[in-house]
Parts: sequence; structure tokens; C-alpha cells
Amino acid sequence: MAKARALDRRRKSVRNIRKITRTMELIATARFKKAMDRSVAARDYTKHLASMLENIAAVGADVDHPLLEIRPTKRTAVLVLTGNRGLCGGYNSNIVRQAMALLGQWKSEQVGTTVAVSGKRGIGALKFRGVEVAETYTTFEDKPEYAAVAPIGQAYLEAYAAGEIDRLDVAYTRFHGIAKQEAVTEMLLPLAPPEAAEGSGRLASDEYDFYPSARSILEELLPASFMSRLFKCFLDAAVSEQVARMVAMKAATENAGGLIKSLSRAYNRARQSQITGEIMEILGGVEALKQ
Amino acid sequence: MADSPRTAGIQCVIVTPETTILDVKARSVVLPLEDGQRGVGRGHAPFIGRLGAGAVRITTVDGREAVHSVFVEKGFVEVSHDVVTVITQRALPAEKLDLGTARQDLAAISSQAARGDEAIDAKLQAQQAAREIVRIAERAR
Repeated sequence: MAKARALDRRRKSVRNIRKITRTMELIATARFKKAMDRSVAARDYTKHLASMLENIAAVGADVDHPLLEIRPTKRTAVLVLTGNRGLCGGYNSNIVRQAMALLGQWKSEQVGTTVAVSGKRGIGALKFRGVEVAETYTTFEDKPEYAAVAPIGQAYLEAYAAGEIDRLDVAYTRFHGIAKQEAVTEMLLPLAPPEAAEGSGRLASDEYDFYPSARSILEELLPASFMSRLFKCFLDAAVSEQVARMVAMKAATENAGGLIKSLSRAYNRARQSQITGEIMEILGGVEALKQ
Repeated sequence: MADSPRTAGIQCVIVTPETTILDVKARSVVLPLEDGQRGVGRGHAPFIGRLGAGAVRITTVDGREAVHSVFVEKGFVEVSHDVVTVITQRALPAEKLDLGTARQDLAAISSQAARGDEAIDAKLQAQQAAREIVRIAERAR
């Protein structure tokens, strides 16, 4: 009975694992929905901000602002957004790979880099690869809050204005849709200059007045637009992490199902052959007695 | 859409980075611009303005007249074709403000000492914002 019993024991433990992965899948699904709602709710802000920028640019306000100015890159900052937890497929390692590629590029160009990492997984992975990490955050989970992101953004804006950094890149997972997420590095500073809205059936009466002036509004609007883009990176990262975990756990659950099936088959076969063996022995005994 | 003067209004939207706080039809909206308040009714000329700290007061048209007040601190407003869009980093609906905590916050900010021009500016701004919150909370009671 030894082999059959061992198979049964393995089957039981695989069943337990399946229970856990299925639960994790359900939790990730629920969290994903919530994170998705937040991300959708935040889209309005970005949309309105962008349209306001377009309108100002359309008026032809001379847009020169320190945040738009492209300087030669001497010192740069990189922000890496990973998860605090694993068991989410290639989510964390993809971002780390992206970040390492960028860091390697800066290194070969001999540009000084300041690295900040959010998420325990990324902190561990980068430390393992010998990257010096200046700042770490572990408080961002599936619900990043604007109030928590704002100080980080503010610090970058100040560093940029003071000339301590000439460029800021964020390595994160962009969320294109439930079927597609992609680890990317995106340049957030200097900002891309706003483009004028192009003839979307605008009337001449759409000429805006500005209080107090287009220039002073732009001065406030550009930092706000940077903040909203940074916040969007955090939101995207949170949604993508949940999707990645959902997919990984779904695959794990299915795998466990397959494993249980093949274990059951092997177990049944082992038990049957054992029974057959016993019957053969008995029959052999009977034959022997007859003679 | 019915366009009779009684029912037609202006669409008023208040958004923060996290969510849309308010999206209602309004008869008139009073906005706290940086240098003073400004009322917006139907057919107002389009403008974009910078907001200071204060209350956005909205008189709605649906059924009975009700006034919403929302505290906003910094941000922008875009008025175009009977649509008022307020974009702000922080918005607190008046019914969620608590007078007790608001007064405490104001007292705490007032009692802090500020040194240097920047710190003094920051303190004055915070103080003004806190005062506005207290005022709105008082009115909401």
C-alpha cells in the first residue's frame, strides 16, 4: 500500500494548495475591481487638466517654464514602482529588468543617478543587484492615495527646480486594458510641452479669458499636470499588480487541477495493481493447495 | 434637453486627482478665485481662472433650491458654454466638515511660529484655508 498512500498524500497537499491559490485569485479579482474603479475615477482629472492645457496653448501663450526646459542630462532620478508582495507572475521582475536596463544606460553614459524604489520586492531585487537605493517606500498597496504621492512629487519638482536632477524617469507597469499590461520606463521630467488643441470644431467664441493671466495659470497648471501623471503611474502600477496576481493565481489553480487529475489516475492505477497482485497471490495459494 | 429658462442650467463638475466630487446641474455657481469671488450664471463668457482657498457655492435647479458648498484649496476653473469645471487637489463637501476639528486645526496653525519669508507665506496660506473651513462649517450647521 506504500506507493498508493504516498500518492494520496501528495494529492491532498495539492488540493490544499489549490484552495489557497483559488482564494488568492478571488481576492486579487476583488482588489482589481476596486483599483480599476479608482483609476477610472481619476481619469476625469487628467482629462480636464489636459484640455485646459490645450486651451491655454491654443491661445498661444508663450510657454517657457523651467519644467519644460530640456537641459543636458548630468544628474537623473529614477523611480521604480514594484509590488510589496510576490506571487504575481513576472510583474515585479519585468519592472526590475526595465529599471536595470535604464540604470545600465545611465551608467554607460556616466550620468549620476538617484534611485527611489516603492515596494519591498523591488527594494530587495535592486539591492541584490548592487544598486544603491536612496529612497524606499513600502506604504503603497492596492490603493495609492494622492495625499501620499504628492510629497514625493513635490520633492522631485523641487529637486528639478534647484537643478539637482535634470531628468526623472519612472519604471512602472502601464495598464492598457485587462488583457495587456506592459512594464515601461517613462520620462516625466522635463514635461512634454502642451500641444494646442487642433480644430475640433472650435468656435471663435471659445476664446478664453484668463484670471489673472495665462502665464500665471500655466505656472500652476504644469506642476499639477506633472503630479497627476505621477499619480497615474502609481494607480496603473496598483491595477497592473492585481491583474498580474489574478492571472498568475488563475494559472496556478488550473495547474493544481491538472496535477490532481494525474495524481488521482496514478493513485487509482497503483491501488488497482496492488489489488490485482493480491488476488494473484491468493489464486496462487489456492492452486498450490489443490495439488 | 429642455432648454426653458426654468429648467436649463449650467453643468458644474468638481474633480480631484482621486475622484469626481460633484457633477450637478446648477442655476448659478460662485467661485473663489485667487483675488476674490466670482459668480457664474448661464451664458457666461468662457474663462480659465486660478482658485484660491474658499467655498464653491452652487445653487441647484432640480426641484427645490438647494445650495451645495464645497471647500476647495488651490486649483483651476474652466468656464465654457454653460459648463463649469473645477479642478482642485483638495475638495471637501461642507456636510463632511466638522466645526470642532476645523476650529482646532485653525488654532493649531495660528499657534505655530514661522520664521523666514517662505514659512510665513505658507503659514498665512494655511491659516486662511483653515479660516475658510471654519466659516463654511459654521454656515453648514
